[in-house]
Formats: sequence, structure tokens, C-alpha cells
Amino acid sequence: MKITVSINLGGYSFNIDEDAYTELKRYLKSLEFNLAGEESSAEIISDIEARMAELFRARLTGYKQVITITDVRDVIAVMGNPEDISDKEGMSSGAKFTEPGAHRMYRDPDRRIIGGVCAGIGAFWQIEPWIVRVIFIAVAMAGGLGILVYLILYIVLPEARTTAQKIEMKGDPVNIHNIKEAVKREFDNVRKNMNL
Amino acid sequence: MDIENTKAQMRKGILEYCILSVLSKASCYASDIIRELREAELIVVEGTLYPLLTRQKNAGLLSYRWEESQQGPPRKYYELTSEGREYLAGLDKSWDELVESVRLIRNR
Repeated sequence: MKITVSINLGGYSFNIDEDAYTELKRYLKSLEFNLAGEESSAEIISDIEARMAELFRARLTGYKQVITITDVRDVIAVMGNPEDISDKEGMSSGAKFTEPGAHRMYRDPDRRIIGGVCAGIGAFWQIEPWIVRVIFIAVAMAGGLGILVYLILYIVLPEARTTAQKIEMKGDPVNIHNIKEAVKREFDNVRKNMNL
Repeated sequence: MDIENTKAQMRKGILEYCILSVLSKASCYASDIIRELREAELIVVEGTLYPLLTRQKNAGLLSYRWEESQQGPPRKYYELTSEGREYLAGLDKSWDELVESVRLIRNR
């Protein structure tokens, strides 16, 4: 026995197994994400949902009343993968969120020891943070101004919080593709650390 | 180089042309267009059609009206606009030129 969920897909009401619902939801979210750069993405998704509803309806009979995960997978196979549906060529020209190659210095909160100043400088110039730290410490020991410079930079440089800022910090173009890659990498890192 | 990828790119390029061509014969639903493409053995997943249809509609090449369906919610019924026909004529010419060029290159 399974729990079912009641959904509205394309104007139709369906009963769908819980696991099938989760998979369908993941697919639709992925579509949304992949189509985010397109104008009229909402319209496209609405058309796709309506068509999927038609396909699901064709699979239900008097006896079969619930959409199963097999149905969801079959319909997804007919509609196609989100990566195939979205036109990557179209997107890279339209979906830049900052000027191409915008390169700003931020504090890097992911690789910081104190405040991320050295890590941020390192990310900007593509050098290892420890090199920057050594230079800082050397300068600080030589004159004492180093600490003041660090504090000034700490105040002046913003922290890179969003994925887009972290990409900008390295100077890569901020587009859907890079954001997706960055999020994927984070996700894989977390998964590795949690041994999932 | 991934041959499947190259093949897919080739197919994607002519898909817009084929959509317009199908609609030039008769107005129809998205699912009809897919069926025609499949009958012509142009392998494409249904999903790729929808962004293209919407883009062509936004560009004024197609228009649609909502048609009531016996089986439930209304569906979009697409037809070619006059700009769409002109555009298609341009693509027809371009296609013929390309085919000829490739033929010449292959027969050298």
C-alpha cells in the first residue's frame, strides 16, 4: 500500500503515487531551471505540463486510477531530458547576469581563516591563499601596517555570499551554465563529506 | 568528438525549418507536428518542440488559437502566419542551396 498525492497538472486532476510525485516534481523543477534564461519560459513549461497531462490521461483506464513511477519515467522519456529541451546555444547569448568577464574582488568565506581577505585576494588573482597570507604576515612583521591594511580590506571588500558572486570572484562569466556547475560541485562536496 | 552530439546538433538545426514546413501544409496541434516528424523518422523528443514553437510564435511566424477538446482542457491549435510563409520560403531556398553544396563537396 502506498500514499498518493493529489495534483493539478495542466488543468487535470490526478492521483499519483508519492514516489512518482517526487520524481515528477524534480523533473519539472529541472525544466524550470534549464529554461530560466528563455523569455516565455512559463508558457513553455505550461505547454509541456499540459502535454504530459494528456499522456498521463491516456495511461489511465477504468481499472488503473493512479499514476505510478513507471508512468512518470515513461512520460519523461517521451518528453526528453531538460538539458535536451533547453537550447543551450540560445541561452549563452541571452543569459549573462553581469558584464562578461566581470571580475570583482570579494572576501571568500569558504576558504577563510580569519576574514577571508587573503582567500579573496587569492581567488581574484588565481593564486593560492597561503601565498597571500605569507606576504601579509611578512609585511605586517616588517612594518605593522599590514594589520591595518587587512582591517581596511576586511571592511571594504564585501563577502561573496551568492553563487554568482563566487563565480565573479574568480572572473568567470556568470551564466546559467557556470552557476549550475558551481551548485553541482557544492552538492557533490556535501555528498562526499556526508558519505551519501 | 561525440557523434551522437554532432547528429543531435544537425537535427536541432533543421527542426525549426521542419516545424514551419509541417504547418504550411495544414494547421494542427503540437502533438500532430510530433507525429508527422516521427513518421518522417526525424527522431526528436517532444519536449524540444515546445520552446521552438513558443519562440516562433513570439517572432510572429506562427499564431495559435485555443481549441476545445473533448478530452479536457483546451489545446493550442497552431497555424503559419504570412510572415511565417515568407520565412519558410527563405528557408526552403537556403535548404536547397545547402543540399546542393554538400552534394558537390561529396562528389568531388
